[in-house]
Amino acid sequence: SIYFDLRSFRDLQAISRVLILFLFLFNQKPMQGSKNQSNVIFPTPLDSEEKEMLHRIVRVDHAGEYGANRIYAGQMAVLGRSKSGPLIQEMWDQEKKHLQKFNEILSENRVRPTALLPLWNIAGFALGASTALLGKEGAMACTVAVEESISEHYNSQIRALMEKDPERYTELLQVIKEFRDDEMEHHDTGLEHDAEMVPGYWLMKNVIQLGCKAAIYVSQRI
Amino acid sequence: MAALLRGLRAGRTLRGLSSVVAAPSAVNPQCSSLNRGFHRAALRLQDESKSDKPPSSSSSSSSSSTTYHEHYQATEHDTAAEASQHDSASDPAAEQPERPNTSYQDQSGEHGEEYETEEQLQSRILTAALEFVPLHGWSMEAIAAGAETLGLSSASTGMFYNGAGDLVLHFIAHCNSQLTEILAEQHKQVQLGQAEPKKTADFLREAVETRLRMYIPYIETWPQAMSILLLPHNIPDSLKHLSSMVDDIWYYAGDRSTDMNWYTKRAVLTGIYNTTELVMLQDSSPDFQDTWSFLDNRIQDVVNMASSAKQVQSTGEAVVQGFMGAAVTLKNLTGLNQRR
Repeated sequence: SIYFDLRSFRDLQAISRVLILFLFLFNQKPMQGSKNQSNVIFPTPLDSEEKEMLHRIVRVDHAGEYGANRIYAGQMAVLGRSKSGPLIQEMWDQEKKHLQKFNEILSENRVRPTALLPLWNIAGFALGASTALLGKEGAMACTVAVEESISEHYNSQIRALMEKDPERYTELLQVIKEFRDDEMEHHDTGLEHDAEMVPGYWLMKNVIQLGCKAAIYVSQRI
Repeated sequence: MAALLRGLRAGRTLRGLSSVVAAPSAVNPQCSSLNRGFHRAALRLQDESKSDKPPSSSSSSSSSSTTYHEHYQATEHDTAAEASQHDSASDPAAEQPERPNTSYQDQSGEHGEEYETEEQLQSRILTAALEFVPLHGWSMEAIAAGAETLGLSSASTGMFYNGAGDLVLHFIAHCNSQLTEILAEQHKQVQLGQAEPKKTADFLREAVETRLRMYIPYIETWPQAMSILLLPHNIPDSLKHLSSMVDDIWYYAGDRSTDMNWYTKRAVLTGIYNTTELVMLQDSSPDFQDTWSFLDNRIQDVVNMASSAKQVQSTGEAVVQGFMGAAVTLKNLTGLNQRR
């Protein structure tokens, strides 16, 4: 290339500085969490297998709450000033609380967040906004589909932890159960507010749920 | 007493036998497993001669010996036959002539959890081998010399499949755990209010400097160690150690980020650490002053870049606001904003 000589150290230094600058620019401001120190939500893992399992659980749940946040943000961007604005805002506030809780759990237990967070950022917002463009029914249908996926996912985690050792994971189980109940409530709210009236409800629901399953699979590992 | 002497004599001949067998063919994998077998038998014999319980596989009734037996059953069915032939003394041994470092014998003569696992033994050998690294480099000779210091035959190097890689990785793990201890101690001091929390840049600089200073005694041979770490089969392990060290440093520096910052910060610190390590290898200034000033400059770079990024972002936002204002003004001027 005529602009950079990759054999020269100074040019490499310049390139790396530019790259790091871009990396810093595309970071979001970290959310303000509480300074709660004693958030050891699960016991010190006995071996690397248990550690892997617990870290995957926290990582995927964190990614899920983050994505749900962005979906509601997208919905609010379109429908924020409509009649259903306050309802969506209320559900969004609950998700914000969930995300804050998982932020604390993630950082205090030294769990690595999923590297796909920027992807879920954009995808979540796009999903929320595009379904909200179909009107209030569309937004509610999206909520129903996503919350159903999340509840199912939380239930399978609860089952897995209960099978292993309910006493050992008491606090973690408590948190997951509480969040699962909240998500089921959102699901029911969505149904109450005419989610099924949207044209193509069955198709939309299944497509969104398939996407959620894929997102869960990938976020556990990457 | 006679049984004890019988046992010790058998142990000595066994080890002599194993070193004779081992000497010409240390590289042969079959022989190395044989060495392993002999070594373990020698080990077991040593400990049998100290124990007051017959080391047969079925007889342990008390729970304190089960760990010993479980461990051995899991790994040594092949040597059970050999060892049972040398089933010897059951009275507690008062003197430990061959293994002065490993007298786990307490008053009652029980083994209990004090029995050493293979990993602990390996780690002891490798730690002992470190003092021979300046002489022999990071190699099997150093490990053999270390084993001899502990009173084991140099055939015990057969235990280490990865050879020099094992030694380097052990050293790195040891340095990392030392660093974690130091950082945890400092963290505790700050929590207790006995020390001031440091600024992030200073904290990072001191942590990296502390960690790199651990290489100073081995700095002559460190290039060899780095090339061993770059061998394909060692790369996953060395990356794991590097990433856990960087994660530790950031955690104690106070990083609690849960988004892409997590990755960015660790990537940046990894870059700083690796380049500083490379500079250190070629540094000949007194007490590596050049290295520490290089480290200083790199950390300053990162700090400057973070603040430039913030400035660029806020400038960008201001510019966007300006454009929006200009657009609204234009719309007003051209009358597009009015409702007719």
